[in-house]
Amino acid sequence: MGFLDFLLGSTRLPQPRSERLFAIATARITLEAKLGLKPTGSAAICVKPLESSAYERTRAEIEDLLKLGSREAGTAYRLENDSYGYLWVVLKDPDFEDLVSGIHMVARSLTDSGLGQQLLCAVYPFSDGYKVYWIFSFKLGAYYPFVPSGASGRDGALELRLRSVMAEELPIEKDVERWYPIWEMPL
Amino acid sequence: MVRWSADRGLQARMLLTMFLLAAVYLIFINVIMAMGVGIQGVVLIMGIFLFIQYFYSDKIALASVGARIVSESEAPELHELVGRLCAIAGLPKPRIAVVRTDIPNAFATGRSQSSSVVAVTTGLLRRLDKSELEAVLAHELSHIKNRDVAVMTIASFLSTVASVIVQNIFFLGDRRDRESGSLVAVWLVSLIVWIVSFILIRALSRYREFSADRGAAIITGRPSALVSALMKISGTMARIPREDLRRVEGMNAFFIIPTGAIANLLSTHPPIEARIAALERLEREIL
Repeated sequence: MGFLDFLLGSTRLPQPRSERLFAIATARITLEAKLGLKPTGSAAICVKPLESSAYERTRAEIEDLLKLGSREAGTAYRLENDSYGYLWVVLKDPDFEDLVSGIHMVARSLTDSGLGQQLLCAVYPFSDGYKVYWIFSFKLGAYYPFVPSGASGRDGALELRLRSVMAEELPIEKDVERWYPIWEMPL
Repeated sequence: MVRWSADRGLQARMLLTMFLLAAVYLIFINVIMAMGVGIQGVVLIMGIFLFIQYFYSDKIALASVGARIVSESEAPELHELVGRLCAIAGLPKPRIAVVRTDIPNAFATGRSQSSSVVAVTTGLLRRLDKSELEAVLAHELSHIKNRDVAVMTIASFLSTVASVIVQNIFFLGDRRDRESGSLVAVWLVSLIVWIVSFILIRALSRYREFSADRGAAIITGRPSALVSALMKISGTMARIPREDLRRVEGMNAFFIIPTGAIANLLSTHPPIEARIAALERLEREIL
């Protein structure tokens, strides 16, 4: 944020920052070695809905790309709308690298079509009996952990521990006030 | 694996602080004597104060916050926890006190390892789970193990004497002194002594907290427990939101909060952030 923005108020929305998305590919090894957390074989990207032909066209484009991907890398996919009206692209692949590149491909094609603003987050679930979600916010350009416990609680202590273990390998959002949870993910 | 070792950094700093404080006070005494106060008077008064402070500091500290020593039958879990930690740390079990207040806090006091008291508040007991409480107790026991409580007690006493002189000097002495201006000189010297000792004590105080954090992490083997305890005490844990991302995105709340430099400028990032960062580094070392 520039000095003028500070004086006059921000003049533009932050652009999506997806360059740090790939960090999870290497972080995954540490997660498994140090914490026993394994990828669940699925990942998802959440897109804010937009009523426009561009959106429909992009959605069709994404589906074409995913079809291609499912033939080449064997990545299964599913498109789903949630109760908030958001579009979820859920990918399934036992190979974690394929999942990461699949998520990146969807993010890039939306950004290329000028719909980068609509990207909400990417989610990588890990499990060791309990579920840990690494949420990548495109606006923050950073990850943060989300560990649900019970119906609407979250395990803050474990999340903070995850931050301390992973701080060197993952770009993690520093401000815990922005670690917004996502309930009832279609994952 | 990180093991317990004598914290050379802390030991060196404690020695340096005491040495510098002693130097400052020798100068202080010399100046007072030059003003015409007899050496016997100065030494006697300082000696009595130091004696009282040294032998009663723990009782004074406990009484000033309304702490009550609890017996094993009154707080069996707390005693059990402290006993176990002392076995790990190789310490005699201190007495345990409880302060009735909702402010979450804990402290250790006492002039030696065997006469120490660890006090916790009811607010702390209410907020922390067992592993977090264990971490906080281990932190206090590390203070005792590092013997920095006694150093701080003596150092603070000397600083207190200087501050008392600074604040009350014009009620002392007779008219002749006031007119000669010697009281002003003593006041000025006392002020300098007060400020210098204040800075020295603060610097040592910050360092000994890091040291005790490290000790706690080694005793419990879980730096993260202390991190979450610190976060709970400072309210960080409560700042993790519960509202769904899609809901706040809809309200555009995501952009309202200032980012980067301005957020840093506005928010207080007190030593607690630095302490957490140090613990996180330790967590990575231990793993």
